[in-house]
Amino acid sequence: MSGGSSLALDKIDRLQAEYIDALDRKRMGDWLNTFSSAGSYICQTLESVQAGWDIALILDDCRGRLEDRVKFVEKIWAGTFQDYQTRHFAQRITCGERESGIFDVRSNFSVAFTRCDTGQTGVLATGVYEDVVDLNGSTAQFISKRAVIDAPFLPHYIVYPL
Amino acid sequence: MEESGVWPPLKWPAKVTEVPKEIFVREDIYQEELRRIFWGKEWFPIAHESEIPNVNDFKTCSLGEVPLIVVRDRDGIVRAHFNACTHRGAQLETAPFGNKRMFECPYHRWSFNPNGALVGCPIRPGDAAGFDKANYGLKGPRTELLHGLVFVTLNEEAPSLSEFMTGLEGQLANVMRGDGKLKLLGYHKSLLEANWKTYHDNDAYHAPLLHTAFRLLNWQGGRGKQFANDRGHRGFISEISVPDGKDVLSDPSLIEFRGGNEKDGSCSIHLFPLFVGIRHLDTIGLRFVNPRGVNQTELVYAYFGREEDDAEMLKHRVRQSSNLLGPCGMVSMEDAAVFHRIHIGSRTPGMQEFQKGVTDPYELPRDFNQNDESPNVLSWEYYRKVMGFEKEARV
Repeated sequence: MSGGSSLALDKIDRLQAEYIDALDRKRMGDWLNTFSSAGSYICQTLESVQAGWDIALILDDCRGRLEDRVKFVEKIWAGTFQDYQTRHFAQRITCGERESGIFDVRSNFSVAFTRCDTGQTGVLATGVYEDVVDLNGSTAQFISKRAVIDAPFLPHYIVYPL
Repeated sequence: MEESGVWPPLKWPAKVTEVPKEIFVREDIYQEELRRIFWGKEWFPIAHESEIPNVNDFKTCSLGEVPLIVVRDRDGIVRAHFNACTHRGAQLETAPFGNKRMFECPYHRWSFNPNGALVGCPIRPGDAAGFDKANYGLKGPRTELLHGLVFVTLNEEAPSLSEFMTGLEGQLANVMRGDGKLKLLGYHKSLLEANWKTYHDNDAYHAPLLHTAFRLLNWQGGRGKQFANDRGHRGFISEISVPDGKDVLSDPSLIEFRGGNEKDGSCSIHLFPLFVGIRHLDTIGLRFVNPRGVNQTELVYAYFGREEDDAEMLKHRVRQSSNLLGPCGMVSMEDAAVFHRIHIGSRTPGMQEFQKGVTDPYELPRDFNQNDESPNVLSWEYYRKVMGFEKEARV
């Protein structure tokens, strides 16, 4: 069930597609560009959200943190982990305009990952994206994005944002 | 020392610098560990009382393969019960945490209060001669608290907790920044594809080498020391070299140190066999670890603030805990990756080698520098004795 014009929904869906394509192609610079200058990205477990805990798996609450995330993935962690290939799948569930050009969007997501060391594919995470999207600029951008993952236990360490 | 019954027999090398790789991957050795260590004369921290601050708060967990409930009863006393109905043994509670006035088994509706007393069961007088509810309360392991940390042991012959912790009470308090008055901030939970001993064996040698962020942020600039004892416990206290991070980070506020004295800005306690407490910068972390078989380990990072923290300090601790540590942490993500590689490599023949800080390959080391791996040697010697592995003769 969604609100918003078909044009707005098209822009929102294209932003989500750019976001997951950037991650699956490991283009962290492109990932960063999906966020506004005041954007934030938070990844939390559903358990934490339901308990009211602020602890997150990733808590990039300002532009500087988002930039540092890119630097860690591309430079600082390089060579210290066994890489994996992700495939993100997202499906918009609800969308509502909170104010002119600003939309609250909720999408289910799943992330499959194929490990370079074992060659096997599994499910890295499933959950919900809770996004606030700004359509007022020349390109749609996330003001905030929260990935709430269903499982309290991660099956694998996480290098790339979800 | 009761000789080990594992088959084929395992001979432990004479050199203190060598640990057989096969102990990390042999199913029979894991089963022997459950018997000798997890049901043995050890104490296991399973919770901090600040995780269950209110009457009827509970948390479930496992010790080895034994399911437990930790609960605060109506008198405020923290208790640990076996998480199984005393009737037919069904698991009583499945939620990881919560608040309940009663634990009811769905099978036949036997119900227990947080004290563990059986308070309800649909049995009429005369159904079973001499049946008395007082005889069917929940049983549990021996339980003691130290600085709010809840220790349990499954072994009635285990020494007192004070004996188990001899000389380390102060270090445990130091990790918590003075005492046990903590406030739970939340958890990171992950599964390691590695044997539980690999987690316990994580050393100080690796920190500036594996974790590139340590080097880039110059976190090894301070001086520090490690300690270890014959009970297999160890830890460190390090001066923290607080970097401004401006050359590396766009947001250096993440690594600000607001916690006081930089001389002991980082400290840890590693209790045999599995518990780790670490305070690093302004994070206070208690890590509850448990094996899930020989090839997998459950790791729960519990993060805390202090009761006296104001909102700003709590927010700072949440930011640091979330981003520095855990399975996505700036200075810990790589641990899980390398633990898995150790596990795979453990299927090759031969020994793990311990060299840094060991001056005599046949004598247990006693003095340790900040980044030595030699404190682990004492833990392995204790493990060897508990497991009953006979030592080869010195050649």
